[in-house]
Amino acid sequence: MKKTALLSILAAAIPFVVGGCASAHYVETGGRESVVTVGQINIQDYIQAANAATSDLLASGALDKVATPPAVLAISRIVNNTGQQIDTDLLTKKIRIALLNSGKAQTTTTLGLGGTAEDPMAKGLQQENEFANDQKTTRKPDFTLSGKIIQTLASSGSTHQSTYSFQLSLTDAKTGLAVWEGEKEITKQGTRPSVGF
Amino acid sequence: MKTRILLPLAGVALLILSGCRTSVNTIENAQKEGQRQMISDSRVITDGSLARKVSFVGVNQTMTPGGLLKIQIELLNRKHSLQRFSYQFQWFDASGMQLTTVASPTIPDQIEGGESKFISSVAPTPACKDFRVKFIEN
Repeated sequence: MKKTALLSILAAAIPFVVGGCASAHYVETGGRESVVTVGQINIQDYIQAANAATSDLLASGALDKVATPPAVLAISRIVNNTGQQIDTDLLTKKIRIALLNSGKAQTTTTLGLGGTAEDPMAKGLQQENEFANDQKTTRKPDFTLSGKIIQTLASSGSTHQSTYSFQLSLTDAKTGLAVWEGEKEITKQGTRPSVGF
Repeated sequence: MKTRILLPLAGVALLILSGCRTSVNTIENAQKEGQRQMISDSRVITDGSLARKVSFVGVNQTMTPGGLLKIQIELLNRKHSLQRFSYQFQWFDASGMQLTTVASPTIPDQIEGGESKFISSVAPTPACKDFRVKFIEN
């Protein structure tokens, strides 16, 4: 009887012990505890690239050279030349937020590549408003933001290296000339055991 | 016989040690055209080990054409080996409130032995008046 009771207690304790070993916890997004993988763009890479691009763009003063500030920005194509499927909004949204908070630029959500609006409802209301007032109220973008994300792989023995290049261009919509260009490169290196799972 | 064994071992030990110890030589113009606007700083050191390896030389600031504060910090690696660290800029407005609406990344960095290196950041908004930079050894 005593033995059965003891075994029951032990059996009940096992999930707690096992569960305790595999406990999950929160970490700071993009912080030092974040997982780093060589073959993938990690969240801290996007944060770093967006921060570097924003700082460089704001410091350049390119956005200040508009007749009526803040500048209006349209997001153009961000080409993904990496071997993985990525959502480029992880980069562009951070830049947009930072630029909006800086008071230097606002992004249009009713104008997109191929005539597709990011916010179709806003575009509909805007068109309705223009039709009712019989005049164009839409402010055309002063600049467009385009770019490319490139992955360069290298390996030597069991050491593997990935370089991710985040290239961005700010183009003056009137002249078609790039008024600012930025590139942030992030290189990660890791070793993979030659024999293993 | 003992010498035969000890000599190669000493050689290997020397190779290992010299491999870890690389430092940077530099050359620059002696008559500087640019003048750095150095500012007084306040330091809180809780990791003496990191401070002994990578020390702060000074902080200078400037304003960007768009009226944003730009901060540059000069670091010096006092050791003869590569040091890895991470840093994070924090920005504060005129009321001393931290601006948390902007992402402030923790940036991993490294500095070669004996190297003097600059790190810089631009304030995310014109409202930023003060800053703090956190350093942590990797």
